[in-house]
Amino acid sequence: MRWGAALSLFLLVCAVTTSARADQLVTDLSEYQIAIRSNFTGTQILLFGAVEARTPGSRAINRDVIVVVQGPVRPMTVRKKEPVGGIWVNHDSVTYPSVPGYYAIASTRPLEVTAPHETLKALRIGIENISPGTPVAESIDGTIQILPPEEETAFWKALIRNQRRDGLYFNLPGGVTFLGQTLFRATVDIPANVPVGLYTAKVYLLQEGQVIDTISSPLYIDKRGLERLIYRMAHSDPLLYGLVAVLVAAFAGWLASAIMGRR
Amino acid sequence: MQIYLPIAELPVSILTILAMGAAVGFLSGMFGIGGGFLMTPLLIFLGIPPAVAVGTQATQIVASSVTGALAHLARDSIDFKMGGVLLGGGMLGSLSGIYIFKLLTNIGQIDLTISVVYVLFLSVIGAMMMVESVQAIRAARGGATPKKRSGHHSWIHGLPLKMRFRRSKLYISVIPPILIGYFVGTLSAIMGVGGGFILIPAMIYILRMPTNVVIGTSFFQIVFVAALTAVMHAVENQAVDIVLAFLLVIGGVVGAQYGVRAAEKLPAEQLRALLAALLLLIGLRLGYELISPPEDLYSITEVQVMK
Repeated sequence: MRWGAALSLFLLVCAVTTSARADQLVTDLSEYQIAIRSNFTGTQILLFGAVEARTPGSRAINRDVIVVVQGPVRPMTVRKKEPVGGIWVNHDSVTYPSVPGYYAIASTRPLEVTAPHETLKALRIGIENISPGTPVAESIDGTIQILPPEEETAFWKALIRNQRRDGLYFNLPGGVTFLGQTLFRATVDIPANVPVGLYTAKVYLLQEGQVIDTISSPLYIDKRGLERLIYRMAHSDPLLYGLVAVLVAAFAGWLASAIMGRR
Repeated sequence: MQIYLPIAELPVSILTILAMGAAVGFLSGMFGIGGGFLMTPLLIFLGIPPAVAVGTQATQIVASSVTGALAHLARDSIDFKMGGVLLGGGMLGSLSGIYIFKLLTNIGQIDLTISVVYVLFLSVIGAMMMVESVQAIRAARGGATPKKRSGHHSWIHGLPLKMRFRRSKLYISVIPPILIGYFVGTLSAIMGVGGGFILIPAMIYILRMPTNVVIGTSFFQIVFVAALTAVMHAVENQAVDIVLAFLLVIGGVVGAQYGVRAAEKLPAEQLRALLAALLLLIGLRLGYELISPPEDLYSITEVQVMK
């Protein structure tokens, strides 16, 4: 028995070391910080990397790379309009506790052929596999209600549709391109309306539909300079901010009348 | 050239904002109005969140009404006592407007409320002005003198707490002006307007103030109500975008100068008919949006984290 246990331990260690000796990823981002200044109109980040083949006989066939760039999560509400007395009114709503504000996914081939559906779902890869937490449905009068699953799905699909329309969620099948056997690169758009916060860029290396290595890098998107100063002041010292805004406006009004009066 | 707005959190074209400010400023100089009711819907059309549009517009109204009030101060056409009474009501109204605004934002009905209130006021006031100016134009063509308003005593004179307003030559109860001020203050906080287009008719037709002090008094009270509204929007909703306000003020100041000059060359009654048409047009446009089926039934909003 003891020998049996030792043998199985040995086999396990072997298995771990062989998996550790499988192909590995090395990646980097063109930028780790994106500054939103007054001239910010969106940007692009370049992610590049290489597959380091550790096993001599490994082949580069059926090898895929998926890149997922995800923004900070926050609660979001989806509202559905219904006609009430001829006017379109926000009626039922569903609130999801943790929705990524940005989700871009690029892959060497379309996701469907890259890996089995179950694998992608288990690893939460892909816009359809985002898990936004337990939704809370409310009726127009604010009472919590329970929606049938298909109706709740319609709300979730609507959230994705809205985010896609705003350019905040997107798929880039073929967005990761290999340059030769080992080098790859992907360019991901960051639109001007991105939420600020901590982003992660996650790279998955797949062989024969199985994930064999992942690597994750942080990416900060934040306001800088005057933008940051104004935003900070508006949130940390709102009374002073409001008074300054009003005084500046009043001064501008006085200046205008002084100029007009001189003419 | 684009500029990223720090509070609205989106980039806008500087030229578009300056042009909008100038166009609205031109109209406001031409018609002697604040222009908030034109600018707030325009900002919302541009994609600025409603709270930011209203809060920022309140700041811009401070600038334009200071200019207006100073001009009337020089002409001694402000009834400070009446303005003060209106202001008392206006301040309370602004505070409750801010509260209602926050409540409606939380339950997701603020966009609808803003639209409905706009449609109601623009169409009613637009229609009233249109009828009146058409009558006046006809009367002028027919050579008939316009009807003189009779000085009969209305229900207002039965109310208690009377006060003498020397500048307006009135001896009336303070209840109606306080109520009017309150009502306009509430609307101004919800709609992002100064409220002159409601205040002025109310002062003429309900309070029966002499027309020569009406506009100056209205500007005087709007300065302070708009200032309070702007500060409260900044405190409660962090919704004042100082960069956007600055651009709007610059455009507005320049536009207003040309508007005033243009108005001197146009007859007053035609000018009023034109303004009425403009009000009706915006009212119809907003009304059409309320009843036409939306492109996407579903909309998303980030949940504001309660402090």
